[in-house]
Amino acid sequence: MQPRRPPLPAPGSRPWGPRPAAPLIALLLLLSPVVAAAESESPQDPGQPQDAGLQRRLLQQAARAALHFFNFRAASPSALRVLAQVQNGRAWINPKEGCKVDVVFSTERYNPEEGEGHLGKCSARVFFKNQKPRPAINVTCTRFIEKKKRQQEDYLLYKQMKQLQNPLEIDSIPDNHGHIDASLRPIWDLAFLGSSYVMWEMTTQFSRYYLAQLTSVRQWKTNDDTIDFDYTVLLHELSTQEIIPCRIHLVWYPGKPLKVKYHCQELQTPEEASGTEEGSAVAPTELSNF
Amino acid sequence: MQGIPGGGTHPGLYPVDRRMLLIFSFILAVAFGQMNFTGDQVLRVLARDEKQLSLLRDLEGLKPQKVLLDEEREAMAKSRRLERSTSSFSYSAYHNLEEIYSWTDNFVMEHSDIVSKIQIGNSFENRPILVLKFSTGGPRHPAIWIDTGIHAREWITHATGIWTANKIVSDYGKDPILTDILKAMDIFIELVTNPDGFAFTHSMNRLWRKNKSIRPGTFCIGVDLNRNWKSGFGGNGSNSKPCSETYHGPFPQSEPEVAAIVKFITAHGNFKALISIHSYSQMLMYPYGRSLEPVSNQRELYSLAKDAVKALFEVHRTEYIFGSISTTLYVASGITVDWAYDSGIKYAFSFELRDTGHYGFLLPATQIIPTAQETWMAIRTVMEHTLTHPY
Repeated sequence: MQPRRPPLPAPGSRPWGPRPAAPLIALLLLLSPVVAAAESESPQDPGQPQDAGLQRRLLQQAARAALHFFNFRAASPSALRVLAQVQNGRAWINPKEGCKVDVVFSTERYNPEEGEGHLGKCSARVFFKNQKPRPAINVTCTRFIEKKKRQQEDYLLYKQMKQLQNPLEIDSIPDNHGHIDASLRPIWDLAFLGSSYVMWEMTTQFSRYYLAQLTSVRQWKTNDDTIDFDYTVLLHELSTQEIIPCRIHLVWYPGKPLKVKYHCQELQTPEEASGTEEGSAVAPTELSNF
Repeated sequence: MQGIPGGGTHPGLYPVDRRMLLIFSFILAVAFGQMNFTGDQVLRVLARDEKQLSLLRDLEGLKPQKVLLDEEREAMAKSRRLERSTSSFSYSAYHNLEEIYSWTDNFVMEHSDIVSKIQIGNSFENRPILVLKFSTGGPRHPAIWIDTGIHAREWITHATGIWTANKIVSDYGKDPILTDILKAMDIFIELVTNPDGFAFTHSMNRLWRKNKSIRPGTFCIGVDLNRNWKSGFGGNGSNSKPCSETYHGPFPQSEPEVAAIVKFITAHGNFKALISIHSYSQMLMYPYGRSLEPVSNQRELYSLAKDAVKALFEVHRTEYIFGSISTTLYVASGITVDWAYDSGIKYAFSFELRDTGHYGFLLPATQIIPTAQETWMAIRTVMEHTLTHPY
């Protein structure tokens, strides 16, 4: 079976041969690919392979996983964050167990408003377990949206959702030309929030997920005031380039933890990923400040 | 014929109800609408005084008769064709295959002094595979290759390619660097490298990636055209399962879309640079994809990529990362740029255009022109370096 991930280089080996002499290390560092704006520093850990590109990728993977988890935990569709820049970090790779990554990164708002240039900062410890989903994550982020403002925006979004026509007749969001109608934006944001849970669970040190498109959505009537929402998303996994359809069911109320159930279809393997998170079972506040 | 409600018949008369009358009237109206204007004339009348003006106004009040000469009709038909000229083509919208091929024909016609169209083969579903050639003449000029759309769903790449083609003809004679490049070198652009896949993204599946080849033994369709090249074919980062998105195909160049390019570039024999454009991730990369082994001119390519990314950044402050494919993106075998490099093309680059995942493949059309503008500066940097470093 074709391995779905690039193999880790054997310990001690480097692309340019055996461990180079000290004067050449400087040259090597100069030759390493760099991020255009900020360089990710990774201190050399003797005995571990330190290809700069792999290091950078690992730090990015960790930052992304941490952000998916953070977004899910925050349960705030108007305060979603995306990765801006990995600033620094280090990774420890244990071929038997997995890898542990400490990473510091900056974030920006998923839906930046005009003139808004806020960059929040996060630090995270991520542990990717070999062959297992659900990386363990400890993440804290600085606040960049005032709590009151966030609550107001969440409530506004909530009201917009409640006012939507039921049943919703939507082809896909965005449409094939990348356009999202302003009236449908709340649906997309909520879908992204729910997908964050799924993407967190599925992210490994090698696989990286993005929300490509929302292909169907159904809002259920509820006895209480929660938003009860059933939808299908297409996730794009970068290393295999696969498109993975997932059915997601979420229940949300502003300020309350998010409840998510999902079922994804992995076309290549017989395994299918599914999971449930009863948000109320997990205390949301201790791990994040916002 | 339907029966009439209410019964009763008249001998010798065919009964017609209101609905039938309406239908008949409609048919008659349409029939009379198709009038023949053979031999009619268009006259221009100039009023000399108030009295004549008033008379004309009275005439105007009469039901207008469209009266056309043969020549007039001919002129109208001609203007209809011109409406489909490149001046009315929107560069800030996504187009389908027919629109792109139609634009191509108009484009070549309007710039026939430096642009020509070459068909290099046919796709699996027998669509023509077309390449635009930009040349100021001269035998066997060294050449630069640009391809877009090798992966069907990456719509921003085709759109960027079209804008770039137009940019080249617009700036030739104005931009001294581009003018120097074109004086000494030819540029080839293949806009729709995967026409079958592209058509499929419009008709059935917006997120289709591969071509549409079918083969016995599997229900799954398509080969990843960027894994089908003869360079490390079948290695890591490609998949032997036909249902996979990175299925490399049964053997190198098995796919007509790839074979056509290989044949063309090989026969030409004088390509000095190759740029293969993809989306998304915002990266500019050079070989190898198949392994972590650096290429022999890695230092030069690193430096060139750095300059190109800087030039790109200066347009709209879009941040790209750069490096070899295997260290920047992932290990991938049987890819275009590896083949190009192994075939002796020293300057082989792969772009991943906007964005970094927010919209991904579904990049809003409003970003087409900004993306194309910044990408152009990077492409131009690579072309300039190729010009000033002949080999």
